[in-house]
Amino acid sequence: MGIKRFFDFFKPPRFWRIYVNSLLAVFVGVVALLFYISNAASYMSDAPETCINCHLMAPHYATWQHSSHREWTNCNDCHVPHDNIFSHYYFKAQDGLGHATVFTLRNEPQVIQIKEAGIRVVQENCIRCHSDLNEHVNLTEVTREKNLHGEGKLCWDCHREVPHGRVKGSSSTPDAQVPLLGSPVPEWLRKLRTRRQNPQNR
Amino acid sequence: MEQLRSIIRRKPWVGAVLFIVTAVLVFALGLLAANIMERRTETLYLEQRRINIEQLEPRNEIWGIAYPRQYQSYQQTKDTSFVSRYNGARNFDMLERYPNLVVLWAGYAFATDYTQPRGHYYANDDVTETLRTGTPVEDDDGPQPATCWTCKSADVPRMMNKLGVEEFYDGTWGEKGPHMVANAIGCVDCHDEETMSLKITRPALIEAFERRGEDITQASHQEMRSLVCAQCHVEYYFDKERFEEGVPYLTFPWDNGLNIEDIEAYFDSIGFTDWTHELSRAPMIKAQHPDYELYTAGIHAKRGVTCADCHMPYRSEGGVKFTDHKIQSPLNNVSASCQVCHRQSEKELISNVYSNQDKVMEVRLIAEDLLAKLHIEAKFAWDLGASKEQMEDILQDIRHAQWRWDFSAASHGASAHAPTETLRLLGTSIDLSHTARNKLARLVAELGHRGPIPVPDISTKEKAQQYIGIPIEKLENEKEEWLETVVPQWIRKAQERQAQWPQYKATDRRPSFVDD
Repeated sequence: MGIKRFFDFFKPPRFWRIYVNSLLAVFVGVVALLFYISNAASYMSDAPETCINCHLMAPHYATWQHSSHREWTNCNDCHVPHDNIFSHYYFKAQDGLGHATVFTLRNEPQVIQIKEAGIRVVQENCIRCHSDLNEHVNLTEVTREKNLHGEGKLCWDCHREVPHGRVKGSSSTPDAQVPLLGSPVPEWLRKLRTRRQNPQNR
Repeated sequence: MEQLRSIIRRKPWVGAVLFIVTAVLVFALGLLAANIMERRTETLYLEQRRINIEQLEPRNEIWGIAYPRQYQSYQQTKDTSFVSRYNGARNFDMLERYPNLVVLWAGYAFATDYTQPRGHYYANDDVTETLRTGTPVEDDDGPQPATCWTCKSADVPRMMNKLGVEEFYDGTWGEKGPHMVANAIGCVDCHDEETMSLKITRPALIEAFERRGEDITQASHQEMRSLVCAQCHVEYYFDKERFEEGVPYLTFPWDNGLNIEDIEAYFDSIGFTDWTHELSRAPMIKAQHPDYELYTAGIHAKRGVTCADCHMPYRSEGGVKFTDHKIQSPLNNVSASCQVCHRQSEKELISNVYSNQDKVMEVRLIAEDLLAKLHIEAKFAWDLGASKEQMEDILQDIRHAQWRWDFSAASHGASAHAPTETLRLLGTSIDLSHTARNKLARLVAELGHRGPIPVPDISTKEKAQQYIGIPIEKLENEKEEWLETVVPQWIRKAQERQAQWPQYKATDRRPSFVDD
């Protein structure tokens, strides 16, 4: 009963109900549109194509796609923590919102550098998959903690090509074919438009 | 409204339908908005106006209509705000900073005025404002030949095409002034107006390649991204026997190779001297700006990195990649230049460069100081009555010692481009200086002098110029007056000429002539 009273409290007076409903509908519609054009549903997935929703990541996608890591990993395997589900999604949300903000404000640098938190995550993920390798070549000391104390190196200090290559920057792979986002206008609407413009194509 | 409300009261699903229909409508409207936005972005590309650029068009702003991103970034070479530890984008007085230079260049125009260069945008201003070009009023007034314009103006390819290369070099700097002052180094100097591909427009580089049995047209695009710079940023001299007696034909001394020893041997073999030193009477070579030669001795060149990779890095704006034409020190643009390859922080990369520069500068100042003393001591020996035969060997050492120092100092980026090679040059310069000073000490003793040789006070630019006997105030006053009287005439003539050329408006696709 408490819940019903709570909603009753927010119910507009009878006269306003129609307007409020219309405004709410407008709001929901716009949110739906944003959800659609920002490809929001894709962010729940691990598909690498999600990361090139923003074209800034195209060079990173292209270099990964031409690396051996393509066979076994996606972006999230390396760039999001995998110790538990909470830190996994917390980090993903935090990183994603940060990136979206920078992209919207056009604040991106020409060469994107990995940040402190990202370094930790990637280094731990190297170890997560390559634990066997580390065991054999006695590299168990290669950790972010050690590195922070000025001891040892990070994996990619030596494996410099892995996996994104050594030349970085937004212009580094100008001609790479990557599946960037197409037009948000659906095919049927587009067809309608072309038919209008060129009636002979009917 | 009353009706609709009552309908909804009777049939609540009508309200739900209304809600859904409105939502769908907004969604559709949003799609339309997205569609419009998309079309707007497309127009941005369409608006990239492809006007027809006339052959050898010197006006950079015309090229700018067709290539706005490149032109706008080129215009930023106007910006003189950047200052690094030893250089920067502004005109500071090198003679004031290093007064020894006045003595080193005694008898040569560099002793009157030498400033650190500004961006390409200022090329014409800088060459007219420097005391080195004098104040020519009549067509045959000196002191500099027309050849000095070769690297200063975007009008050079046009004039060379019109007059012929030899005729371009013939005559005085002042005589060609009105043809040159309107357009600073720019688009046409490196680009083909039809295809926009990189192009060598200065014959000296092509000829230098030919004499070495190489064909510059075979250079790859990546090599061209350095070679277009090597049209000007090189060591050169004026060959006065090549064409007609006395016409200073711009020539690169690369026949034996690009190493300092190769170039030195070349100059020695043809007995070339830029000037005879006023104090020591040594036959001197002035190194110009052997940036390309020293760059080839460095690790970046060996790894295939070009001038443009660091000084004009690629940029992306939206989905469009282009070359940043704000040609400048990478230290002012570390993230887009260095960090493309180097993962270290900006602070660390800059400190690495500064550390090299500090070390090179430490040794350079030693070499400079020794050379100043050498010239003064040689003059002392002459004054004591030394003979030509006694001095010959010493003067040759002075020539080589200063040439090696100058090669490293005149190339402003030397300590970044090739730090070890630069230190080697300075090291051999110091060795030659010490050898010469030893010989001088013995000679002076033979001539009957005991004790140290007196050294005048040359601790500031003023004192050093006074010691050499340069009437600096007179030169400066003359220049100032000349800049106010003669140069405006040059500029007026240039404007009148350009007013006769095809005029473009930003909206034009084709040039239209004024008379039309």
